[in-house]
Amino acid sequence: MKNFFLSRLLQASIVAVVVGAVCFALMRALPGDAAMRIAAGRYGPDARIADAAEKVRLELGLDRPIAAQFLEWIGSLLRLDLGHSLVTGRAVAHELQVQLGASVWLAATALLISLLIGPLVGLISGLKPGGAADRSGLAGAVVFRAIPPFVLGLILMLIFSRQLGWLPPAGFGSPREILLPALTLALGLAAMSSRVTRNAVAAVARAPYFAFARYKGLPEAVVVRRHGLRNAAIPVVSYLGLQAIYLVEGVVVVESLFAYPGIGHALVHAIVERDVPMVQGTALVMGLMFVAINATIDLLTFWLDPRTRRTA
Amino acid sequence: MSTIDHISYVQPKSGIGAARLTGAGLLVLLGGFATIGPVVIPVDPSAQDFGASLAPVGSDYLLGTDHYGRSLLARLAHGARLSFGMAFLTTLAAAMPGVLLGLLAAWRGGWAEKGLELMATVVLALPGLMLVLLLLAFSPGDYGPLFLGLALTLWVEFYRVTKATTKTVLSQPHIEAARMLGFGSRYILTRYVLPVIGPMIATLAAFAMATAIIAVSTLSAISVGLQPPTPELGSMIVELLPYFAEAPVQVLLPAGLIFLLVLGLQLLAQGERA
Amino acid sequence: MNIQVRNDLLVTDLSIHTADGPIVSDVSLSLGRGHPLTLLGESGSGKSLVAQAIMGNLPPGLHAIGRILFKGSDLLAEAPSERRSRWGRSISLLPQEPWLALDPTMRVLPQVAEIHRYVKGRDAAGSAAAAKENLLEVSLSSAEALYPFQISGGMGQRAAIAMAHAAGSELLIADEPTKGLDAMLRDQVTARLRREVENGRLLLTITHDVAVARALGGTIGIMLNGRLVESGPAETVLKAPKHLYTKALLSSEPSQWERQVPAASGEMVIAGRGLKKSYGSKTLFSGLDIEIASGEIVSIVGPSGCGKTTIGNILLGLNPPDAGLVERRADLSSLRFQKLYQDPPAAFAPHQTIRKGVRDLVRLHGETWARVEDLLARLRLPESLLDRRPGEISGGELQRFALLRALLLNPAFLFADEATSRLDPVSQKEVITFLQEIAAEAGLAILLVTHDRDIAETISTRVIDLGSSDEKAM
Repeated sequence: MKNFFLSRLLQASIVAVVVGAVCFALMRALPGDAAMRIAAGRYGPDARIADAAEKVRLELGLDRPIAAQFLEWIGSLLRLDLGHSLVTGRAVAHELQVQLGASVWLAATALLISLLIGPLVGLISGLKPGGAADRSGLAGAVVFRAIPPFVLGLILMLIFSRQLGWLPPAGFGSPREILLPALTLALGLAAMSSRVTRNAVAAVARAPYFAFARYKGLPEAVVVRRHGLRNAAIPVVSYLGLQAIYLVEGVVVVESLFAYPGIGHALVHAIVERDVPMVQGTALVMGLMFVAINATIDLLTFWLDPRTRRTA
Repeated sequence: MSTIDHISYVQPKSGIGAARLTGAGLLVLLGGFATIGPVVIPVDPSAQDFGASLAPVGSDYLLGTDHYGRSLLARLAHGARLSFGMAFLTTLAAAMPGVLLGLLAAWRGGWAEKGLELMATVVLALPGLMLVLLLLAFSPGDYGPLFLGLALTLWVEFYRVTKATTKTVLSQPHIEAARMLGFGSRYILTRYVLPVIGPMIATLAAFAMATAIIAVSTLSAISVGLQPPTPELGSMIVELLPYFAEAPVQVLLPAGLIFLLVLGLQLLAQGERA
Repeated sequence: MNIQVRNDLLVTDLSIHTADGPIVSDVSLSLGRGHPLTLLGESGSGKSLVAQAIMGNLPPGLHAIGRILFKGSDLLAEAPSERRSRWGRSISLLPQEPWLALDPTMRVLPQVAEIHRYVKGRDAAGSAAAAKENLLEVSLSSAEALYPFQISGGMGQRAAIAMAHAAGSELLIADEPTKGLDAMLRDQVTARLRREVENGRLLLTITHDVAVARALGGTIGIMLNGRLVESGPAETVLKAPKHLYTKALLSSEPSQWERQVPAASGEMVIAGRGLKKSYGSKTLFSGLDIEIASGEIVSIVGPSGCGKTTIGNILLGLNPPDAGLVERRADLSSLRFQKLYQDPPAAFAPHQTIRKGVRDLVRLHGETWARVEDLLARLRLPESLLDRRPGEISGGELQRFALLRALLLNPAFLFADEATSRLDPVSQKEVITFLQEIAAEAGLAILLVTHDRDIAETISTRVIDLGSSDEKAM
């Protein structure tokens, strides 16, 4: 338990250092006046920018070792002092608050829809491996996994908003607008989790303890409830860890595609506009979101599977 | 009664390799299109012909044209070559160090392994696409950071699988037995380790190529990857999207091509276990 | 075979068919109160299928014909749902390797209690109390709150017996109840089963171990290739076997072997002085002296986990000792110290044919193929086996190939690490006999590690005993 916590804490600090290091390098590598840029990022537009830039230039010119500058940069990052956007001039932290909420809603909705589809399809497939349901489940999973999320999103957009006119193609504000991007992500996630569920169910059905539960004379419903569900859920839940990668990557893609004002959209925007403080802030928050999802999955696994408590 | 339970008395269904075969067939066709197509199609993929803007399929242009009147056939062939080429190169750049470092870590253990593990942990701390995006911020639209970012995220999987599998093989009694019988490390590596990890690396490589193809097209589609007028499949889709009402086929063609490329690779990699 | 008078379970002309034909034919047997029945045979003899036909859990694709009368009703005539309703009520199964049959994510107590709760229909509190009682009966109260991965093999077996008690069914089918257990635990389990019989339960046991059949008494049926080749009261079958296979089986039992001990030649080949090894806080052994001379067979016996394999590995230089040193006769190349492994398939690369492995070895050491042919003949290995992969050869044959491989290097010392424990009794005897002959002919020094005291005592010059079983977490 303590180990899980520590390793996730380590992961979170690695995320911060990697993001910080890349952005530190970015700040210096981009063409133009680095000092001006750093000053704008640090103090925002309210400060007398020319004076501030002069101060920064002096700092840089003082030839302080690059390591010290880097440590200072990472230090302010760890204090969650994210600076100001080079484009809008607003505090990055402030911009992130709104965007993070939108992204979390999107990710949660997508995960929820995928959990309604994936495990159900997987369960039906796994109960009779090789049967008609299993084979169509397999075909569906293969097809959906071969479609990149942005293509899937476009297809859904074309069908549901252009052809059928049911849902708005873009925007944010009502549940109707979250539905298409969430569905795009959910279908990809479900394609993966359905097969994992299917294999988990099939493995449990073959397991000696499952057969033995029947030999003990337990009614089928009790066998499934007491010895099937938990054991089948363990691999499905630990696979959510891999799905977290898909989810976070997908949020970036799908938000950009549907112009959904979340953090992934902001990240892509910031990259195109070379708004380094915003790149750093958004990447950091998305990275931490990834760590948080993983930590949640750790907790769930820990609760489900006593074998993981062995060393606790 | 597990001794008997594990034996299936039901005859296995035939056609185990059908999915793999389909995947291989698809890839041969698409690979042919990508390598031979750009050579034999005499049309420049960026030559504009405004008179023939959005020409339908089967007109003067076999697969029609886009909004600038560029031949879609030529653009698709060059797009396929680009996707295949990028995917192949990034996979190669990821697999070579990944496999070698994996072997090194498994063989030597100790500090070499610890250092490599740390590197892998650092790379895996962020989702792969985020790392690529961060590198792309240095110069959006360039091949360099795209290639570097993809290779940097993809090598880890090769490293981890190679290391874990090699470790398992090396810990088995038959390796100990071979050493006692006087066989050297070279023999053990080539006869005992490589035959086991070879097929796994091949599977991983197919997956890595599929990932690279999706990533390259996705990044162009959200306009941080390769930029127009490069005939990249993802950006072709997005460019043509506003004209969907007039020319739906032109939008669907590059999308279908990406789908088939990825499908072929995934079928080849996994076969029936997809 | 003739039918006894008192029989609560009566099997008549049972055959089991696949789509391709019968795999078990014309088996007739019976058992009654106080008279357990033990089916003895190697894997693939069909003994487990007979048990499954009685239980009603034959794998899909198999069907049984004949008659199985249990307390007057024909089980084979019953519908699957009726048969299933007997599970845990009138018929209980004692699974082989119970640590796999227990739900890995549930504590022991609820796995027993659920039988009272869902099969007997008692309330939750009553079920828990009754389950505690069941665990107490097998002295397993300490394991109530443990998960299956926290208990030992012997404890798992007792937990399974507690479940059979909870069910309280009349017929108990024990499927290889001693598989994977060492001799000491095996005797504990058979004693427990014996007690079940004394308490009036009907017992059908499936085993490959003659010692289990002997300890249980009652009726013994010998199965070979899907047929019951001999059956009768235990004393008769064991003392005066009629069928050739039974005779071979019984004479291959280590306790029946003729004691034949090689004389020591005096010339030391390898020795360990003051060896010490601990794992974590547990000291396996310390101050251990061992010396093996050419032509000698020295055995180390002890329960699993006592560190006996570690001694051999220390002598071979595969593990470092915590203290002490190893001496080898100075003029010997390290290639002349060889090892035979417990699990023969694991000692060969799974994807390489035997021929390729042997040919590479011959080439590596500049030997001739003629020597291989000599050894093949010596070890009675047909040449056709060379082109197979390790998984396609029986364990006994594979172990002889491992011996061949070692002998090509003219070994001076051979460490046989439980080298026969996974072989059927007949192959076991064969391999041991080869070892004895080679030790005598070539002056080979052999260190044998085994959990079977009978083997050790009949063939070795000296036996080192690493203590009695102390089961973990008792």
